[in-house]
Amino acid sequence: MTPAQARGPTDARGDQRLLEISGVTRVFSGLTALKAVTTHVAANELVGLIGPNGAGKTTLFNLISGFIAPTEGEIRFDGRSLSGMKPHRIARLGIGRTFQNLRILPNMTVFDNVSIGALAAFGQTPWQALAGGGGAVSRGISELTRDVLDQVALSDAAGVLAANLSYGRRKYLEIARALATRPKLLILDEPAAGLNDTETGELASFIAGLVRKGMTVLLVEHRMSLVMSICQRVIVLASGVKIADADPATVQRDPAVLESYLGTGE
Amino acid sequence: MNAPKPAVPPVVLKAALAIFVFILVPAVLSWIGGGYLFQVATTALIFIILAASLNLVTGTAGLLSLGHAGFYGIGAYTAALLSTRFGLPCVVTLPLAGVAAGAIGVLVALPTMRLISIYFAVATLGVGEMIYVILLNWTGFTHGPMGIRGIPPIDLLGWRPGIPLFDYLVVAAVTAFSVWALSRLMHSYYGNALRAVREDDQCADAMGLNVVRLKIETFGISCFFAGVAGGLYCHTAGFISPDQFRFSESINILAMVVVGGLGSLPGAVIGALLLIILPEALRGFGDFRMVAIGSIMFLSILLRPRGLLGEVSALDLMRRQFGEAWKGGAATRVGWR
Repeated sequence: MTPAQARGPTDARGDQRLLEISGVTRVFSGLTALKAVTTHVAANELVGLIGPNGAGKTTLFNLISGFIAPTEGEIRFDGRSLSGMKPHRIARLGIGRTFQNLRILPNMTVFDNVSIGALAAFGQTPWQALAGGGGAVSRGISELTRDVLDQVALSDAAGVLAANLSYGRRKYLEIARALATRPKLLILDEPAAGLNDTETGELASFIAGLVRKGMTVLLVEHRMSLVMSICQRVIVLASGVKIADADPATVQRDPAVLESYLGTGE
Repeated sequence: MNAPKPAVPPVVLKAALAIFVFILVPAVLSWIGGGYLFQVATTALIFIILAASLNLVTGTAGLLSLGHAGFYGIGAYTAALLSTRFGLPCVVTLPLAGVAAGAIGVLVALPTMRLISIYFAVATLGVGEMIYVILLNWTGFTHGPMGIRGIPPIDLLGWRPGIPLFDYLVVAAVTAFSVWALSRLMHSYYGNALRAVREDDQCADAMGLNVVRLKIETFGISCFFAGVAGGLYCHTAGFISPDQFRFSESINILAMVVVGGLGSLPGAVIGALLLIILPEALRGFGDFRMVAIGSIMFLSILLRPRGLLGEVSALDLMRRQFGEAWKGGAATRVGWR
């Protein structure tokens, strides 16, 4: 894709590493939430991140998107270190995210919600706004917004206030907003939480479809079925430590995983 | 942005508004023959600029500012000093009044914009009072409590007819321009970014918006227009003193925005008109009118939390902002983000 990506290191299989997490530790006032986690996500890979509650999954997400800084270690994306970068810079580098507890903008329409992501991709200065929207920029934003709304089948609800959207569709709204930033890596925090089995199945095929079209996805999930059915690789965290990192079949047989997660969970 | 088509085409609406403001109102006022009524109308227009500009920062971007009157005062004093000491015409003093207030607004915003919203509100309150105290005590520069007298009336490139109608028309033109500019800003994708900052600034951050920069820009723009309003005020009133720019005036402007509805530009305009014209209309009731106005504000908050036309409820916004302040989460130091 980009020259920056071409510079990135490659793993044993020869895949380009889009995201590299090396030795990342995060301590919250004496409590170690993540301990020396090293892993990566290759370009166009669909990786699942699982673990029991309190395993450090959301901490890792917040580290990747820059909301918190690692106590030790480094995260590199697309060949660049993310150390000390603010969340909006990281988002502009190409990491789009959703939140565990939906964070839609309730008093804005669906279209306007998604346009926020597109706006960041294009940028609009107050002067352009004063001059009547800045022509090309404005057109670019609305085209991208409409395009993404089509992708997630929300076009019919474009003018609806986000607060009035059904729960299931809000999930797609969040994903759409992240997609509108034109990310290289999409990180989804428990996208299936609160969805029924049918909805989860639809979401799974939607995510798999994104990856088929070239997107790279890292998703945190509680639902084993979703992770095991679509992910190419699964990373398992327990108490802040990575205990497994392999394909779904291997992970399901791993004794450490069975003991700490599958045995106690489902 | 993506709103359904309004029943009345916007062009017709704008033309009707222009005819009303520039022809109908001055005609009726001239016919009644009230210099005093012109003064009320001019004040109402100035407060429309103040309410509309505060609405950008508080209604659209969700930053509660309690010091707007301070920036209004900076504009008034800048224009007054420039015209009384250097004899500069209005074409120069009005923009410079805006620039001075906007620049000081940006300076204030730089260190305070990382504060969580409710602490930011307290900071702006402090800044507003500081501006008042400086205007009051820097006697050598501002004449202190004596105020500045004999500020020349509005002129157009040196032409100064000095009749109320002329002042009214110039103020109306500047107000129309300000409201137009603020409307362009609010009803653009840039305005959407500001709304995102209001609704959830961390989320806006994760979407790639430079939240701190957006807040600083908006605050500066808002203060610019407050400064222009101050410039208009000093030239139309001819006399200014520090107590016209106190905290109570900031609250007055905030009340206009809240009554009209946070985030709505027509709301801010209507709020300003209501809270300027109503006290004048009720003058016959003496001190009782202040009770009446207080009751209107109290009831409007209770019965119409979104104001007349607001896109967000004032109570909700406050609740969220107070809540934000106690939340730990990503904020490592209390009160900061």
